[in-house]
Amino acid sequence: MASAQTSRSLKNKALLSRILLWIFLLIVAAFALFPIILAFFGSLKSNLELTTGTTLLPKEWIFDNYAQAWTSANFARFTWNSVFISTFTTLGTLLIGTMAAYAVARVDFYGKRLYVVIQSCTLFISIGAVVLRPQFDLMVSLNLQKSLWGVIIILISGHATAFFMLIGFVRAIPKELDEAAFIDGCNFYSVYFRVILPLLTPALGVTALWTFRGAWNEYILPLVFTMTQPGLQTLTVGLAGLKYGVGDAAQPQLMLAGACLSMLPMIIVYIFANKSFMQMTAGSVKG
Amino acid sequence: MNGTKRQINAWTFVAPSLILTLIFGVYPVFWALKYMFYDYQGFGTPLFIGLDNFERLFRDKDFWQSVVNTFIYAGGKLIITIPLSFVLAVVLNRALKGRQLLRAIYFLPTVISASVMAIVFYVIFNSYNGMVNQLLMGAGIVSAPIDWLGAKHALVTAIIIAIWGAVGNYMLLFIAGLQNIPEDLYEAASLDGAGPLRKMWSITVPMLGPVLQMIIMLAITVSLKGYESIMVLTEGGPYGKTEVMYLYLYKLFFPVSSGGSSIQQFGYGSAVGFATAVIVGIITLIYFYVSKKLNDIY
Repeated sequence: MASAQTSRSLKNKALLSRILLWIFLLIVAAFALFPIILAFFGSLKSNLELTTGTTLLPKEWIFDNYAQAWTSANFARFTWNSVFISTFTTLGTLLIGTMAAYAVARVDFYGKRLYVVIQSCTLFISIGAVVLRPQFDLMVSLNLQKSLWGVIIILISGHATAFFMLIGFVRAIPKELDEAAFIDGCNFYSVYFRVILPLLTPALGVTALWTFRGAWNEYILPLVFTMTQPGLQTLTVGLAGLKYGVGDAAQPQLMLAGACLSMLPMIIVYIFANKSFMQMTAGSVKG
Repeated sequence: MNGTKRQINAWTFVAPSLILTLIFGVYPVFWALKYMFYDYQGFGTPLFIGLDNFERLFRDKDFWQSVVNTFIYAGGKLIITIPLSFVLAVVLNRALKGRQLLRAIYFLPTVISASVMAIVFYVIFNSYNGMVNQLLMGAGIVSAPIDWLGAKHALVTAIIIAIWGAVGNYMLLFIAGLQNIPEDLYEAASLDGAGPLRKMWSITVPMLGPVLQMIIMLAITVSLKGYESIMVLTEGGPYGKTEVMYLYLYKLFFPVSSGGSSIQQFGYGSAVGFATAVIVGIITLIYFYVSKKLNDIY
C-alpha cells in the first residue's frame, strides 16, 4: 500500500517534471519564432493596423505590401544585387579555397607553414572597421569602388574559414587515389579537376552554403561601397535604408515586407538543408 | 615527379589565396599601424604627431563610455546565452520526442542577417506604435507603452536581440561537445548509483571542460566585436547609450549624418582601432588565465 503510493507519487513527480520541461522548451521556441512570425503577419497588415492594432493576425490580408516593396521600394533591384554578390562570392571562395587546400594538403612546398600561419592570423586578428577604410581606398585605386565587384573581391579575400574547412575535407580523401591517377598519366592539375573536385562535392555543398549565407547577410561592406550608389544596394542595405527613406519613413509595413523578402530565401534553403547548416556550425570554430 | 615542378605547381595554386589575403587582410593592418601616429583626415598630407592620438584617446569620454557599454552588452548577452544554450543542449542531446524539430527552430535565428533582424526588431519594439507594446497593452499587461528604444531601455533591447540571434549557435556547439563524451562513462556511473545531477557534475561538466572553454572564449570575442545590429537598430543612440567600441570606431572612418562625429579621422580612428584590439586581446588573455586557474581547481 505504502509502496504503491510512493511509486505513484514518483510517477506524478516524473510527469510534472516532464510537463515543466516542455513548457520551458516551448517558451524558448516561441522566443525564437516570435519575431519572425510577427514580421510575417505584420508585413500583411495595413500601416494603420500595424501601428494601432492589438491582434497578432491581420484583420485584412494586404498582399499588396509585397508588390509595393518589390516595385516602389526597389526590392527587385536589391534582390538582384544580393544574388549577384552572393553567387560570385561563393564561386570565387570555393575556387580559391579548394585550390589552396589541395596544394597545402598534398604538397610540402617552401613557405607552407608561413602561409598557414598567415591564414590563421586573419581568422583571429580583427580590428573591425579600421580595415574597411584601407580596403575601400584600395578599391578606389583599382577603380572598383563603384561596382559590386569591389565588395565581391573583398568578401572572397576573407576565405580563411572556407580554406580551413576544405583542407579537412581534402585530407580525408585517400592519397592513394592521387597516386593511382598519377600512374594513369594525370598531372598536378588534372588530379585537382578529375579526382579532388569530384570527391569534394558534398564538402563543396556545405562550404557553399556557409559562404553564401555570409555573403547574403553581409551588411557593412556593401553599405560602405554603395553609400553614393543606391542602385547597387543589397537587400540588407536597402532594407536598413528604409529607416531613413524620404517617402517610406512612416511605412513600417513595407519594412516588414522587405525584411520577409530578404529572409525568405535563407529560410527556404535552411528548411531543405538544415542538417548541413548545423554540421557546419558544429564542426567549425567560428562563432 | 620533378621536385621543382611540384613546388611551382603548388605555389600557383596557393598564389591567388595568398595575394588576396596579403592585399586585403594583411596590408590594412599595417596601414592602421602606421596612421595611428599621424594626424590624417583622409585628404591632404598626413602629419606625424607621435603619440598625440593616444593622449587624446585617454581623454575621450565618448570612447570610454563605449567601452563600458560594450562590456555591459557583451556581459548581459553572455550571462543569459551561455547557460541557456547549455541547458538546451543537454536536454536536446537526450532521447526526446521532437528534438530534431526543436533544434531546427532554435537554430533558425542564426541563419538570418543581423541587420535584417535589427530592422524587424526596430519595427516591433518601436516605442509608440510598436507591435510589442500594442500586444502588451492589448493583453492588459502594461498600461502605458514602454520606450524600448529610449535612453533607459535601448541597451537592454539590444541585448535581447543579441541573445535571440546567438542561443541556437552555442546550443549546437555544446551538442557537438556533448556527443564526444563516451556513453559508457554514464553507464558506469549509473552502476555506481549516480543520479542525474551527480552525472552532470562529475562527468558532463569536466568532460566538456575544453569545449566549454573554447565556446566561452569564442562568445566573449564575438560579443565584444558585434556592432552590426546595434548600428541598424539605434546607431549608438539615444545619447550614446548603446554606443559600442566597434561602432564608435566605424563612425570615425565613415561619419554618419545623424549623431556622432561628422569629420572622418583616419589617424585617430586607427589609434582607436588599435586600442580596441588591445582591449579585446587583454580580455581574452585574462579569460585564458582565469580558465587555466579553474582547470587547476578541478
